Amino acid sequence: MKRLTIQRALALTAAALLVATPVLVRTQASAAAEMSEGVLCDTDPNQTFSLTARDGYISTPDGNSIYMWSYSNSKRGFQLPGPTLCVESGRQVTVILHNSLPEATSIVFPGQQGVKANGNPAQPQFDSGGSLTSLVQTAAATDGSVTYTFTAGSPGSYLYETGTDVDKQLQMGLYGALVVRPAGHPNQVNDRADSAFANGKEYVYLLSEVDPDVHLAVERNQPVDVNASKSRYFMINGRSMPDTLAPNNAPWLPGQPYGALVHIKPYDAVTNPLPATIHYLNAGSVNYPFHPHGSDERVINRDGHALQGGSGEDLSYLKYDLDVGPGQTLDVLMDWRDVEHWNATTNPIPTQLPAITDQLLVGSDTWFSESGYLGTKNAVPSNLTQNNECGEYYHIAHSHALEQATNYGAAFGGMMTVFRIDPPAGCVSQ
Amino acid sequence: MLEATIGRPNGRAGGINRLVVLSAVLATALVVGLLVGLKLWSSPGDPGSFPSSVQIEQQYGVRFSRIAVVGDGGLITLTYVVLDSEKATRFQSDVGHPPELRSEARDGGTKRVSVMKQGHSLRAGQTYYLVYQNTKGALRHGERATIQLGDLALRHAPVL
Ligand SMILES: [Cu+2]
Repeated sequence: MKRLTIQRALALTAAALLVATPVLVRTQASAAAEMSEGVLCDTDPNQTFSLTARDGYISTPDGNSIYMWSYSNSKRGFQLPGPTLCVESGRQVTVILHNSLPEATSIVFPGQQGVKANGNPAQPQFDSGGSLTSLVQTAAATDGSVTYTFTAGSPGSYLYETGTDVDKQLQMGLYGALVVRPAGHPNQVNDRADSAFANGKEYVYLLSEVDPDVHLAVERNQPVDVNASKSRYFMINGRSMPDTLAPNNAPWLPGQPYGALVHIKPYDAVTNPLPATIHYLNAGSVNYPFHPHGSDERVINRDGHALQGGSGEDLSYLKYDLDVGPGQTLDVLMDWRDVEHWNATTNPIPTQLPAITDQLLVGSDTWFSESGYLGTKNAVPSNLTQNNECGEYYHIAHSHALEQATNYGAAFGGMMTVFRIDPPAGCVSQ
Repeated sequence: MLEATIGRPNGRAGGINRLVVLSAVLATALVVGLLVGLKLWSSPGDPGSFPSSVQIEQQYGVRFSRIAVVGDGGLITLTYVVLDSEKATRFQSDVGHPPELRSEARDGGTKRVSVMKQGHSLRAGQTYYLVYQNTKGALRHGERATIQLGDLALRHAPVL
């Protein structure tokens, strides 16, 4: 608890205090089909999930292998982060936690209502000397289990994470995303009709960090000094750039099943009127100033609550730099608009060097897709990162804290990915 | 060389030599055994192991380790392990001459590399990567590709 930051504590408290109105329930549509990109949900008709806290290894792009603790679906192997649980607002959720780790662990569900552990109110645990041992009832070391129930809160995204020895266990990887959907409206972020998103265009960006020294100490059963911790790897969904670009369930990342590529088409009032949604969650200990290049995103939810006034007025806002604080979540809508009105023959938008500062990333290196959207290409200097391939456009999206955009100091890497925007008719080369 | 040394077991120096050589042999056997074991252990699930080229490793100081189609088909990552820091740093700095990736199944290839500079000097033993544009869908998941680097070619690399 000692390094549990004030921000995180505030975020958890705020999320726990806010109580949403329960709404009527309807059986959710069947689980999302497996796909190469986009959120992969764990769903269940009874909203009952069996998770096992277990250890395993992840790989980092620089060739490192890191010992982790994480939650996994009890029927599957180790994965980081824990399974994305998708549930319907207002309905009961049951999470059975089995523990195979060498120490007690638990799950807290910030923002959910009436959380119980084995049928008793979830509450902090103390040892005989009165010291706090856990924020919630635990599953005992090695083979313990505990069953949590709660009513899914207001629609939006939430973290679920360890409530035991939080500084260490959170660093070790005990976290996951909980996506609560509005009853009867699986394609809306919240209860507002203006939160609808395009079918299949839903993304989770669970942001976290790893200090390999802590993980090595835990693996070797040596003392851990979380106060001296310095994170070296920064991840989206348990992966660092360029693994963030790889598809869901990439075979070379067996313990890191979730990709982080946003793939959309331009806004069109007729053919593509709805935006994509991205759920940003911070499971780490510091702020992640995440920002996509190229366009602002509309923040419509904070910590699982729609941004609206007392009489329902829209309080959402466009934001360029999405500051996701420790323990916080933001749900945003994003689309991409062809403001230059590209036309292959009448307005082919030639290549111009980007002049805006946010294209400069590290030193003189820059990331640029080689042309204006769908444009013709002029020669470009070699310090440009070039991506344009079949007319699609890539925006980089990354943490603006540049040390978070590295793999152990080597740029580019870390908390970085790309947003891919295809031509309106699709990518013809595919 | 090994045989000659072992064949001269005269005196104290010879004994030490023998010990050194035996240790070396044992250590080598252990390393080889580990490598073979690792290779066997890692092969299930892999669509074939990744080929290697002594010439490429000697000339460029890198060992290619993976080709993967990413970016929902639009991008390719080529990863390599640095064997020789100095040569590898030269290799990655030569942005005008990136390795070309060519499909072995169809006409098609890409050398449109998005140079991902990884710092001034590359550290031996560490993995680095290049991101390519998958020009006109040059490479597809499940096929084999050739990595062409100057006059040298690394054939039959699996495309993940
Ligand atoms: Cu930036």
